[in-house]
Amino acid sequence: MRRHTRRIYNLCYRFTSNRHESEDLTQEVFLRIYRTLASYRSAHGGFATWMTSVTRNLLIDHYRRTKRDRMTDSLDDAMFKIEEKESAGRRPDQAALLGELSEQVQRALSRISPDLREAVILRDLQGLEYAEIQDVLQVPEGTVKSRINRGRIELARMLEQMGLRPE
Amino acid sequence: MNWTCELIEAHLSDYLDRLLEAGERSAFEAHAAACPRCAPLVKSVQSLVTGLHRLEPIEAPPRLAVSILDQTLGPRAKKEGFRAWLAWLQPVWQPRFVYGAVSVLVTLAVLLQALGVQWRKPAMADLNPVNIYRGADRRAHLVYARGVKFVTDLRVVYEIQSRLRPEAEPQPAPQQKPAPGQSTGPEQKSPRELNRANENRDLSVLACAMGALPARSAQ
Repeated sequence: MRRHTRRIYNLCYRFTSNRHESEDLTQEVFLRIYRTLASYRSAHGGFATWMTSVTRNLLIDHYRRTKRDRMTDSLDDAMFKIEEKESAGRRPDQAALLGELSEQVQRALSRISPDLREAVILRDLQGLEYAEIQDVLQVPEGTVKSRINRGRIELARMLEQMGLRPE
Repeated sequence: MNWTCELIEAHLSDYLDRLLEAGERSAFEAHAAACPRCAPLVKSVQSLVTGLHRLEPIEAPPRLAVSILDQTLGPRAKKEGFRAWLAWLQPVWQPRFVYGAVSVLVTLAVLLQALGVQWRKPAMADLNPVNIYRGADRRAHLVYARGVKFVTDLRVVYEIQSRLRPEAEPQPAPQQKPAPGQSTGPEQKSPRELNRANENRDLSVLACAMGALPARSAQ
């Protein structure tokens, strides 16, 4: 339960860049999964993939609803995240670097188009395989590859513009 | 395939995700190393992907899982009074834990019993190490003496039995069925008479063996 909660929460946070919205969305995802559990068929893919599909659909709905008043990260969230990294037993300098990278990546992610963003999040932050992403996004494999490729390139260019190069 | 800068950009993720064939891969690397436009792009995207993979997942707030459970399964009823006080026992009150506790108690009881602790009249003196040692020593000697006595008794019984056992007699030849009208020899005695005769014989043999009676009178 906690593992799935964390995964879904991360997916929501990386997509929305907002902690409170991510919490609400995660709850909404689990509610929807709970209500539509009977519709899940194992033949159509793994349970985790199905959960990701449900999350993605909700995220897209949420994106369309809040298109006008979307916001970037708040300073409080950034500070909270850096504290989390330090408390994970990592050296403070490493934690700060990773925290900074995480923040910059988050900001860059929020500036690329949702199609590319979700593809990069699913591939590089959630670690899904191409076939799983294809199931989640319901698009052909070529489109998945193309979106991941374009998303990575845009993200890298955006980070360079921000003056950050991940090592 | 002639690798142009556009192709390099289009297949950059294929290269990073190791989806290119060996030949394509080497051609890709050759172009990327020589091209001043593609080299920084490949390097920056490669660094980005490595950095993204290194990012640790963000911990969800602890209350999130609880609120999800509340929303899906409904709020859990809060225990009050006596039940709330006993709530901490819930994780302990598992079959595995109870079984382990009973095993430990039984082991302790056996150990204390072996050490000579009196259950009916418990006293603080029973817990004195000197008394525990003496009790254990006494128990050990008692068990040893009983064992020795048992083995000795067993040896005496086996010795008597071996002396009373009649010597192996030759197997009687199979008797032929007498023809009709033919005599069958001396009449067979009844079982009771046979037992009595055997008893007398056994007693005389036992007396001889033990030396209680002179051999002559035994005859």
